[in-house]
Amino acid sequence: MTGSKESFISNFQAPSNSHELRSQGHQYMADLPVPTRKSERWKYSPISKLVNSSLMTCSGEGVVWPEEILPNPIPFLDSYRIVFRNGSYVASLSDLPIDDDVVCAPLGDVEARFENEYHKSEWIGAINASYHQNGLFLKVGKNKALDRPIVVHHLTDGENIASFPRHFIKLEEGAKAEVVVWSSATDKSSGMCNGILEAHIAPNAYLVIDKVCNEGGEIFKFSYEHICQERDSKMKINTFTVKGHWVRNELEIVAQGPGTDSVFNGTYMPSGKEHVDNHTTMDHAYPNGTSSELYRGIMYDNSTGVFNGKVFVRKDSQQTNAFQQNSNIVASKGATINAKPELEIYADDVKCSHGCTVGQFDTEALFYLKSRGIGIDEAKALLVQAYVGDVIAAVDREEVKNEVMRLYSERHRWA
Amino acid sequence: MQTELVDAERVFLFDRMIQMGQTEEDKLLNEVTGKSYEFGFTTDIESDTIAPGLNEDVIREISAKKNEPEWMLEWRLQAFKVWSKMAEPKWAHLQYPKPDLQAISYYSAPKKKKELKSLDEVDPELRKTMEKLGISLEEQKRLSGVAVDFVMDSVSVATSFKEKLGDLGVIFCSLSEAVQEHPELVKKYIGTVVPQKDNYYAALNSAVFTDGSFCYIPKGVRCPMELSTYFRINEAGTGQFERTLLIADEGSYVSYLEGCTAPQRDENQLHAAVVEIVSLDDAEVKYSTVQNWYPGDENGMGGVYNFVTKRGICHHRSKISWTQVETGSAVTWKYPSCILKGDDSIGEFFSVAVTNNMQQADTGTKMIHLGKRSRSTIISKGISAGNSQNSYRGLVKIHPGATNARNFSVCDSLLMSSNCGAHTFPYIEASNPTAKIEHEATTSKIGEDQIFYCQQRGIDEEEAIGLIVKGYAKEVLNKLPMEFAVEAQKLLTISLEGSVG
Repeated sequence: MTGSKESFISNFQAPSNSHELRSQGHQYMADLPVPTRKSERWKYSPISKLVNSSLMTCSGEGVVWPEEILPNPIPFLDSYRIVFRNGSYVASLSDLPIDDDVVCAPLGDVEARFENEYHKSEWIGAINASYHQNGLFLKVGKNKALDRPIVVHHLTDGENIASFPRHFIKLEEGAKAEVVVWSSATDKSSGMCNGILEAHIAPNAYLVIDKVCNEGGEIFKFSYEHICQERDSKMKINTFTVKGHWVRNELEIVAQGPGTDSVFNGTYMPSGKEHVDNHTTMDHAYPNGTSSELYRGIMYDNSTGVFNGKVFVRKDSQQTNAFQQNSNIVASKGATINAKPELEIYADDVKCSHGCTVGQFDTEALFYLKSRGIGIDEAKALLVQAYVGDVIAAVDREEVKNEVMRLYSERHRWA
Repeated sequence: MQTELVDAERVFLFDRMIQMGQTEEDKLLNEVTGKSYEFGFTTDIESDTIAPGLNEDVIREISAKKNEPEWMLEWRLQAFKVWSKMAEPKWAHLQYPKPDLQAISYYSAPKKKKELKSLDEVDPELRKTMEKLGISLEEQKRLSGVAVDFVMDSVSVATSFKEKLGDLGVIFCSLSEAVQEHPELVKKYIGTVVPQKDNYYAALNSAVFTDGSFCYIPKGVRCPMELSTYFRINEAGTGQFERTLLIADEGSYVSYLEGCTAPQRDENQLHAAVVEIVSLDDAEVKYSTVQNWYPGDENGMGGVYNFVTKRGICHHRSKISWTQVETGSAVTWKYPSCILKGDDSIGEFFSVAVTNNMQQADTGTKMIHLGKRSRSTIISKGISAGNSQNSYRGLVKIHPGATNARNFSVCDSLLMSSNCGAHTFPYIEASNPTAKIEHEATTSKIGEDQIFYCQQRGIDEEEAIGLIVKGYAKEVLNKLPMEFAVEAQKLLTISLEGSVG
């Protein structure tokens, strides 16, 4: 065994801010075990290969932005932008909002008060706590609606890179904001990108996040979002994994007041030997909350997909209405899906349901199309478009919607 | 006009009352009001018990007491070796004090050991117990034509209908008898479905099992009657380690019934059974269980720990169908499973699990699809009341070679109080592009409008709930053989006693 916990982290360097979180991180990093197939949460997503590699963090010095990747990944979208390369802030390519009611800055420039405790339970989280680099800090004041979306673009560029973005979003009462979290990587890149996003939504506020992973190369990507919702707040998050060698999306939503509304959707279409893991947790800790979840995936070639959706309804969270749906298509011999939709319910006056399916393309629909002179590949492409289109349609911004559709269609060679 | 209406109403109600008066369940409901565990009594029979503790010597002693051949002892010792290296599983959604396995006596048999040919030879005390349970052997023999292999603690004391079954070549006896008389069959199949190292409790069972049932249905034989076994824990501090081995040879059919009640106890009793079913080509096995071990009192004191490993293997075109009604036990940990090894094999799982007071259940099934065109159906109905926790945990796994495999699962939960919990943990693993899997789960409260509807028509709340629950569980109850269906309905009603609100 070459890679131990200690040797894996030996080449990581951390900036000097947020001492408290870092020292906690170091402590938990030493105490927590490296997840293996034996730990329930990592059963289908082993990371031993990663831990055996030797990675290095990058300082932001001497940045050369690669030509093939546009700093603004979404054409025509009128947006603010905050750009990072290998975890470091790239000021020259960023365009931040200036407004009295809005604080938007690189995280390294502000003292954020983190509340998230992911590092106390997961080794992966503890490394981020110890070595987190930079990220978005966004605070939107009372009743302020941000006029344009903010695109947070993270690029991994280089071999054996370890990067640790960390984002912090706070919406005050009645505020509204849209954030696009975009990650990309050049084709020769490898290593790990371990990111955490923490968001706090005050009463009546509304947060929208569109998350897109479009990474070339061979990167182990961990992204964990923790969202706290107070009374009557709303949130919507769409998670699209367009491309990625090994991706784990972990989403945790906690209702911290009654009457919250949470919508979270996602699509994944891994091909080749890719691995995509979507873990979601919806924690209804107060009454009258609603949540709706829709994840759809297609596994091509020798890829593996993982879906684990968990809905908690705590004691006394009466009148909760939770819905969860996960559909999967195993498109090739050699592909695998491991799905685990879970419900844990401790209150009685609730409506909760989940559905999970694994199936194939509808042969009747294919026959219908074929009999009208449409070739099998094209017919399948049409069905796929309709299938993931349902999820992508939930995106508010046309520009984002179109770009995600375009990337999927380019990748899977739709007409 | 008005008086006519009132009269009609009165007649309707009168009819309704007569009907109600006639149904078994309603009579029962009245009878059991305010009753705690009905079958909570113990029988005083002198027992031959080994001192508590577990080590190799105890295993040798058990084996010697049962006069077992050398290979059986070796097999037990092998299992003990494996077990000693294992740790107790913690993944289940259960909380309970770990049973002290060294404080248990691993062998307890009624002292009277001589061979019994007729029921009259059975110990009168034992006979009384049976009568209290409502399973008088003569009655059963005469009325229902069911062969009963009655297990009191760990050793079979009476077996009926043996001759009739013998004519067809059906072997139905206790496992210890089978070890003596049919060693080749036992040796060939024991541990093939649930290997010694399968899990902590299966390994423990393999090392110390005292007795259980053995059943072999020869080629092409359709077993003419339902085979049934009553289990009963009787001796305080005696864990029961039953082991059942059921082999259905090519083209045969058997329906097997298993049911149990246990006397009231204050200390936890451990029950770690293993059931193995081998269903060879074209065979069909129907395995039904009504489980009503002592669930503990309202405060969670006492009650049985039920950690059971049940699994069947299906060869080509064969079928295994598990039906279970789980109402008892303080803690249940049970996953009757099917390995669908053969092409075109079928696995089914129908379950009603009721938890009340402080009961905890983590139960479900595993359907492992290996054969082409293998199909499985899972229907699970959970009912939780009081402060109980009821979990469904299931696995549907489609291996790469299982072309055109099909699964359909439904697991519904019904919540009866605001302090209980209902949970669903389904695992779905598909590695074949032709697999079709559907899973759906719902959780909801018992319908207030339905209760109101019944109340309007003169049915009180408790009865109304009984009716609704029975309707909810009907899909599964219908799968039970006649004799069991009645018992199961009684149990449902008794188990939910006092849970209104």
